[in-house]
Amino acid sequence: MKLSEIAKVLNAKVLTCEEKVEDIDIEVVGASDMMSDVLLIAKPGMLLVTGLNSPQVIRTANIVGIPAVVIVRKKTVPPETIDTAKNLGIVLLHSPIPMYVACGRLYEKKLKDVEGIIK
Amino acid sequence: MKGNAPERLDVLIDELKGIFSNIKAHEIMNTSVVVIRPDRTLYQAKELMRLRKISGVPVCDEKGALVGIVSIEDIIKALENDYINDRIEKWMTKNVVWIDENEELIDIVEKFSRYGFGRFPVLNPETKKVIGIITKADILSTILKKLKNLYVRDQRMTNVLEKSDLHSISLITGEKLDKSGADFYFEINYSDINMAGIGAAKLREFLLSRGIDEETVRKVAIATYEAETNVVIHSESTGRIYCFVKDDFIKVRVEDNGKGIENLELAMQEGYSTAPDYVRELGFGAGMGLVNMKRCSDKMVVVSEVGKGVIVEMLFNIKLGGEKS
Repeated sequence: MKLSEIAKVLNAKVLTCEEKVEDIDIEVVGASDMMSDVLLIAKPGMLLVTGLNSPQVIRTANIVGIPAVVIVRKKTVPPETIDTAKNLGIVLLHSPIPMYVACGRLYEKKLKDVEGIIK
Repeated sequence: MKGNAPERLDVLIDELKGIFSNIKAHEIMNTSVVVIRPDRTLYQAKELMRLRKISGVPVCDEKGALVGIVSIEDIIKALENDYINDRIEKWMTKNVVWIDENEELIDIVEKFSRYGFGRFPVLNPETKKVIGIITKADILSTILKKLKNLYVRDQRMTNVLEKSDLHSISLITGEKLDKSGADFYFEINYSDINMAGIGAAKLREFLLSRGIDEETVRKVAIATYEAETNVVIHSESTGRIYCFVKDDFIKVRVEDNGKGIENLELAMQEGYSTAPDYVRELGFGAGMGLVNMKRCSDKMVVVSEVGKGVIVEMLFNIKLGGEKS
């Protein structure tokens, strides 16, 4: 599913690298607030859904090869986080909806989890 | 080194003894122990054993103090001689051999071979209450758990550790380490957790620019990131990342001069963490760092002493025939 469509599904604003949203195709989604978990489970090319908004999230994404991050629930995203994403070329999306709802909507769209499990 | 193999074995056994001998009964025992009252019948004891798939059950009074034990053998005798509906107290073994919760593994093993029983209840020596039970299977699984955390060092490793200046020797190969010859160097000179990962990100860029395949780079980056985060969160000092790129492997060494790891065995356990709350709020401190580093690398050695910092050395094999573009 194209990132641009995902942004629509989640009512998300694209904060960085808008030029990439038509090109990135997402098949796998992972959601976590534990960066240690992300390091453990992430698949390259996966979309990360997280409630954290620190620049650390972006750096973690960069390390494991995550091209796009959706920050959910938080009202704002700090400028340092946006700058980090810009510098590392990671698409940053921001959606005010809760993580549960965000995951539910993506699940409905038949996006797979890291184990490739979905009915 | 071929000539002195038995000698090495002795050394190994001595080392293992040191590691296993101080394991106490309360670390080995199974705490979900089933007990039965003396006024119940042998038939009830039989049913309990059948349902819980156990071969013996301690008998305790209403205060939880041990008064006897019933085993499968007692049940068989009762069935043969037709007294299965008698009360337990009439037939149970009253002189029970039990284990003090502070008893050490060596003495426990000795008890198993001396008495030939299948299980021993573990008691608090003051209250005489049953707090657990030990079977041979419990001993085996404790030892396996310990072994998992143990790095049995070979001679090469001993040579390395006996030399005093660990900072100039490779922990994995024992070779002299010329750090000035490192292909990549990064100084972790910040203590802000929000900056952790910068070094790993730079290393990732560097390795990709050297044409290393993405999968290997990813593993190196993840492990280095974890190590860097550990320095920032735990060391309370600065640290250094060195990377050496060879034809068929990549070696990463992360050092700090901080407070060190108090209990390496605990630190290696999944989920164990001493990270403060503010770190956890940032999504770290799940106690997966060392575990994840071990998973990503092909070889890992951690050396630490309290007050003297931590050295982590990791080796990553480069896949032969991997795409080097």
